Amino acid sequence: MRMSVAASWVEAPLKQFVDDARVHYAVLLHPSGQVLGQYGFARSVDVMTACALAAAIDASSRALGMLVEGKAFPSLHYAGRERQIFLAEVPAPGGRLLLLAVFDWESSLGLLQLYHEEFRARVGEMAPPIAHNAPAIAADFEKELNKNLAVMFGRA
Amino acid sequence: MSLVNYATREITCKIVYYGPGRSGKTTNLHYIYGQVPSDRKGQMVSLATQTDRTLFFDFLPLDLGTISGFTTRFQLYTVPGQVYYQATRKLVLQGADGVVFVADSQSRQLAENIESFQDLHANLADHGVDARGVPLVIQYNKQDLPGDLILPVAELEDQLNFRGVPSYSADALHGPGVFETLRGISELVLRRLSPTTAGGR
Repeated sequence: MRMSVAASWVEAPLKQFVDDARVHYAVLLHPSGQVLGQYGFARSVDVMTACALAAAIDASSRALGMLVEGKAFPSLHYAGRERQIFLAEVPAPGGRLLLLAVFDWESSLGLLQLYHEEFRARVGEMAPPIAHNAPAIAADFEKELNKNLAVMFGRA
Repeated sequence: MSLVNYATREITCKIVYYGPGRSGKTTNLHYIYGQVPSDRKGQMVSLATQTDRTLFFDFLPLDLGTISGFTTRFQLYTVPGQVYYQATRKLVLQGADGVVFVADSQSRQLAENIESFQDLHANLADHGVDARGVPLVIQYNKQDLPGDLILPVAELEDQLNFRGVPSYSADALHGPGVFETLRGISELVLRRLSPTTAGGR
């Protein structure tokens, strides 16, 4: 299974959702576009792009919902010829999150909606409140950073 | 909100290039995209108008490699600079770990630079963020233009850099200053995850 998570509590509910709803891709993200966990993407940079676009769709559709209906749309569905996209909010103790799922004929919108409800409940139970990051990298990280950037820019 | 996964040792940071319309924010990302090898970057996404003005944002994911044993990734965003895209700028700014303010060095753009800088602070405040606590660098772009068209860096510093943040002279179209700017904001953002400052957040 091509699953990766940025927070350990995400893995169990996301795996359950993927198994139940039979989706090709599933991403749990913060509305700012930061990924919390994903299934299906092979490259991390593709996950980041999917998250940035999903966050943009969420932000603009919320604004559109407020404009035309006086409230944000809680979920969106796009039915393509072969694949479909489902984007919905997931309330969590630390604030709202987003679930992006891509599926085909092996699943259905009804199944997605059903298991999205279960996913919301699991996330509500398991997600911790927002925690500030503890020190992660060494105090003298600059040397490594500069070396990596120089390699990226062909200056090494 | 830098995401740090201690189990898989991964760090993901969001950096937003901010500034007035046509100051060169997208040009910065285009230059970076052109320099970075394909295995270290994703596709550059540009949600733009038919005339190539940024409509929502540009987005470029970068893999910086390993730093202190953590696989480190940066998400680079630009905002639309035009005044009427205020709401969009605010949305893109959400959750930013660092900001690059790209100023247009042309004399006639000074008022737009100041207005955009104030807009940045107002939008951060709307997100409940104290702008003084956000890693910020300023890039004075278009310094390659003839001297009679642009303001010298010292004067731009007087007008914009009252916080005394790191600043860089640049010609984003051809590259000078782009790398240095990215390195500068990267250092500031990652320093917040190092023992020297992380405990104080």
